[in-house]
Amino acid sequence: MLFHTWVFAVFFLIVFPVYLLVKNNNRWMNLWLMIASYVFYGWWNPSYLLLLFGTSAIDYLMVVFMEKSESKRTKKLWLIISLVSNFGFLAFFKYSHFITDNINWIFTHLHWGVQLPDPVAYPNWAISLFGGGQGWLFTAVVLPIGISFHTFQSMSYTIDAYYGNIQTERSFVRFLTFVSFFPQLVAGPIERASNLLPQLQGRPVITRDDVVNGMALFLVGFFKKVALADYLALYVDKVYGAPGDHQSGALLLATIAFAWQIYFDFSGYTDMARGLAQIMGFRLMLNFNNPYVATGLGDFWGRWHISLSTWFKDYVYFPLGGNRKGKSRTYFNMFVTMLISGIWHGAAWTFVIWGLLHAIGRIGTRELESAAWYRERVPRFVKQVLVFSFVCLAWIFFRAPTVTDAWTILTRMFTTGWGDPQFPVLMGVLIVVVWLYEELFANGPRTRSWLEGDVVRVGMAAAMVLWLAVVAQPSTQSFIYFQF
Amino acid sequence: MSNPEEPTTSNALQLTVRQWAGIAVFAAAVYLLVPAAWQRAEKLESGPEYRLPYELANDYWLWSRVAAQAVTDHDTVILGDSVVWGEYVRPAETISHYLNALEGKTSYANLGVNGTHPTALAGLIEHHGKAISGKRVILQCNPLWMSSPKHDLREQEEFQFLHPKLVPQFRPSIPCYRKETSERLGYIVERNMPFNGWSTHVQTAYYGSTSIPKWTLEHPYENPFKPITLKLPPPSDELRHEAVSWSVRGITRQNMPWVDLAGSLQWKSFQRLVELLEKRGNSVFVLVGPFNEHLLTDASRVKYSELKRGIEDWLKERKIPYYAPEALPSEQYGDASHPLSAGYALLAKQLLATGLLAAK
Repeated sequence: MLFHTWVFAVFFLIVFPVYLLVKNNNRWMNLWLMIASYVFYGWWNPSYLLLLFGTSAIDYLMVVFMEKSESKRTKKLWLIISLVSNFGFLAFFKYSHFITDNINWIFTHLHWGVQLPDPVAYPNWAISLFGGGQGWLFTAVVLPIGISFHTFQSMSYTIDAYYGNIQTERSFVRFLTFVSFFPQLVAGPIERASNLLPQLQGRPVITRDDVVNGMALFLVGFFKKVALADYLALYVDKVYGAPGDHQSGALLLATIAFAWQIYFDFSGYTDMARGLAQIMGFRLMLNFNNPYVATGLGDFWGRWHISLSTWFKDYVYFPLGGNRKGKSRTYFNMFVTMLISGIWHGAAWTFVIWGLLHAIGRIGTRELESAAWYRERVPRFVKQVLVFSFVCLAWIFFRAPTVTDAWTILTRMFTTGWGDPQFPVLMGVLIVVVWLYEELFANGPRTRSWLEGDVVRVGMAAAMVLWLAVVAQPSTQSFIYFQF
Repeated sequence: MSNPEEPTTSNALQLTVRQWAGIAVFAAAVYLLVPAAWQRAEKLESGPEYRLPYELANDYWLWSRVAAQAVTDHDTVILGDSVVWGEYVRPAETISHYLNALEGKTSYANLGVNGTHPTALAGLIEHHGKAISGKRVILQCNPLWMSSPKHDLREQEEFQFLHPKLVPQFRPSIPCYRKETSERLGYIVERNMPFNGWSTHVQTAYYGSTSIPKWTLEHPYENPFKPITLKLPPPSDELRHEAVSWSVRGITRQNMPWVDLAGSLQWKSFQRLVELLEKRGNSVFVLVGPFNEHLLTDASRVKYSELKRGIEDWLKERKIPYYAPEALPSEQYGDASHPLSAGYALLAKQLLATGLLAAK
């Protein structure tokens, strides 16, 4: 179910009034939200619900067992079981094809004459041990939507519980609701138990500000997705669909357009998610903070997909030692964290390279960004252009279907003439207007207060409503991040 | 442990309740006033030979305006698919033209829309045809839509058929119709919100049936609002196909399977349409066919005769005046169901000769 479709409108019109009726009874509220969230998730494919329920149930039980453990060793064992099960599901559903293909490629090049079977063979083999026929349950390994998001959210609970950072959740239903909370289930923000669980334990209070601010967030997110992201996708898909047919100008502009497309798409989803949650009296964490006005790569990662960046920081970078063990170890830790972040996004070499590029970029610019001359003498705009250019370079690998395509795009970008890019002027205008808005918003209190004036805000809202009604088309296009 | 920032907005768009109320009033005004204002600004070409331009066949908002105009200028409207519209003929060679010419008046209006099979036609009249309520209607029944399970929309396999926005979106269920629930709900909204119909009209009439964003991709350096000239494309006087008979065209005789009338989805839709028109106070006259029986194999022709008899029996039973002519001469057909100009002329003559139209 997508937020910007009629089905979701009907869904929410049913869920919200009932929610208002039951929200003062915590047990009923959680039960209702859990049912609604499972319907929301099962709408794509009800069989995914088994996985969602399974991973949640394991994590819930492991924390209960941890609490009852008397020795640290047993406690650790429960944590390991939780991590292994979560990573196991992720590895099977998300990475098994990638791993199999690469191992088979190696086998072929070594002329070993053996090949690993399609990953679907493993569960079917297990089923056959219990008398089930081949292909009885699985015919193919299909990536469940948002698996990386809900497993990470669930895992954060077990890790935090292990370190004693949060209390054990007693209610199984409430825990299921925490993992499956529908506004942020499939594409985040990846909530921490310490933020969302306490909200689910109480009686949410919905103020007038919650409703109006939630509506505003939803409108902005809706506009970003339907009017901007889906529009830019038309050009990006055309150029990236046949990179060999396009020259430097088109490839460059399509890459810039993709940078904005993915930002509008993902932050649009997040805005809608946070808006919906706020209308229901819940606060979800900020996930994007004008990332393209960043003046350094570190700054960029503090503004882009914040819930994931902080997740990796807390559960990978810090446990590895963070910056406490000397310079070279810090760089090593940063490198590993960024590489894992790349792999988190997808099971393809393109994502690995994307992660590597950011790792190298981050390490290479860390000293630069902290140097006084860079901070004080290089104009802000120049820094922004440098960061944006680097991010765009990395996006090429993120967007291109294969490494070969990415390479084609890169080489053609620098070896062919500008050509006629056929880039719609309207697209360019929209991008510049949004960038200017964000720049003015982030630049200082004076310009920000001007943007926060009544006329500008109401005018913008009216313009968005008008644009959505007249120009933008009804969209049923999925969100890019649903695939992760 | 890093502290996720306190929830704030990453933008400045926070509105007060009063400002939201203002936006709601603005949106409501746009939704209500724009379609009405547009009707005043955009001149609608009409006249005795007017028919909806072919490329605007999916513009139901425009069709409803044309229908409203037609009932003020003419006594009788003719409803149907491309047989009424005139697939192989010019506007001045259609059935409405010859009826008008023979009567020496401009009594008949051509409201035919290409591709409106009975299920779509029922939807067109139900959702966009309120303007013709209480008027005299000649309703053409084209048996072609019952010539095979595919035409009857009863194939189990999904396929794209014409006018999906007009068919029932959920009940009765159409086996081959597999659009996503969201799209179906969107179609229902469009039927009931004139603004959405208007928005589709703008895209159909001025942007070549594509959305404005897609149009900019084809015309990257042009002003995206330039095509809105408020001048509708005029009905073309050019032939869509060469006006030659089916045999010259190289069409061979066909063994159409025909469906059983009792289980036919299209026939049920046609019955529903007749009932709807009667309920709305329309005086309904049904014209069955005339189908090109010359194109059928002997076995198929027998099945067709049974089907035609079934249609007539139901019309008789419901006391609905109708005319189910014999097939026109073979050379007067362009294909299985579309007459050529001479065929329309002959049909008009026959129709008036029955006296049934005058009696109404």
